[in-house]
Amino acid sequence: MKISSKELIQDLIERTRKNINEAEKFNHLTMEMLNWRPAAESWSILECLEHLNLYGDFYLPEIENSMLKSDGKSNPVFKSGVLGNYFAKSMLPKEKLNKMKTFRDKNPINSTLDKNCIDRFILQQQKTLELLDIARNKNLGKIKTSISISKWIKLKLGDTFRVVIYHNERHIVQANKTARRFPVNTGFSA
Amino acid sequence: MDSIGHSKYNAIYTHVTNTFLKSIKNSLDKLAIIEKYTGFFPYTHKLPSGEKMNPILILIEEINSQNLWNKELKLGRNEYLKVKGSIDTNLYLVVNGSLRVFVLDEYEEHTIRFGYKDNLMAGLDSFINEKPSDLYIQALKKTTLKVIGKTEFMNLVSSSSKNTKTWLAVLENFVLQQMERERDILTTSPLERYNRVLKRSPQLFQEIPHKYIASYLRMTPETLSRIKKP
Repeated sequence: MKISSKELIQDLIERTRKNINEAEKFNHLTMEMLNWRPAAESWSILECLEHLNLYGDFYLPEIENSMLKSDGKSNPVFKSGVLGNYFAKSMLPKEKLNKMKTFRDKNPINSTLDKNCIDRFILQQQKTLELLDIARNKNLGKIKTSISISKWIKLKLGDTFRVVIYHNERHIVQANKTARRFPVNTGFSA
Repeated sequence: MDSIGHSKYNAIYTHVTNTFLKSIKNSLDKLAIIEKYTGFFPYTHKLPSGEKMNPILILIEEINSQNLWNKELKLGRNEYLKVKGSIDTNLYLVVNGSLRVFVLDEYEEHTIRFGYKDNLMAGLDSFINEKPSDLYIQALKKTTLKVIGKTEFMNLVSSSSKNTKTWLAVLENFVLQQMERERDILTTSPLERYNRVLKRSPQLFQEIPHKYIASYLRMTPETLSRIKKP
């Protein structure tokens, strides 16, 4: 995939804005609804967000450090890596959400969660916006970042941003689906 | 005092009082109109002589009559219209609800402006230079906006010399408002800052939660509440 770096960053900012807005909507729901799970093994809305927070805890500092260490110039065009593009695209929510395995350390199921988790998510998104802003002057293709699942693979910065932000989108969609399945009619619309 | 002298005195007194009240009412009416349409930048100032209506109002009516609004946009409470780093060249009219414009400094939010019913809003830096800007714009309650793009808007502005002049007047107003705001920020005394804003924008205190006004006034909500009840 080839795209102008500027366009990519604008797109990711806009997706992040929408993710924040969705999270703000969750803030108005009751605790009962936020903690409700459609099935024993499924996640509640808060667990979806906490799962994203756990990833954010890893990726945001990783992205920040990789940019701090770099001194190259920005490149007008970003060319996605083979692996990076594959990961990113597989994250994007499809019409019907396909199940994916989660890694045990990123599985929030049955942890005690409260609305703090939503605030934490929003703060992480604001941090993401800041990092995207810095990334305008960085080479999205040259800078490499580690990933959480393997020590041996590194992704291009542009792809890492895509993976993280698409991944957020994916679980926001999941959380919205969960909200819609909540048994009583609460007037929630997503 | 004899009765005739008394009634004469009364008549003069009534006349003077009426004239005085009328002039106050006149200026209040004027203020109300200006206030209504400049809350975008909550500040009122003298209209250029000969100009009866606020220039922003003239442009809004022009957009209405030519049906140039692109769409209507609804935001829930706390939802963002714009975030840091994004480019937004739209102009918005607040149909109902309220919004605030702020920047994030580390983790502290600094409120820059507010918008409520009938105000024009924009991420003005981005609107002018079409570049990404640091501004966040957030709805404070359920808010409905009408949207017009920069291209459509600038086409309207350049379509007649009257519109061009009106737009120039809007921008001139804006420069004056910015200078007032600059003086706000340079004012040391919190009480003085409060008084300045209260004087030029009393409606603000009806429309916007006070914790955001406190942020706009660069003081803590506690200080604001102390100042309000001496």
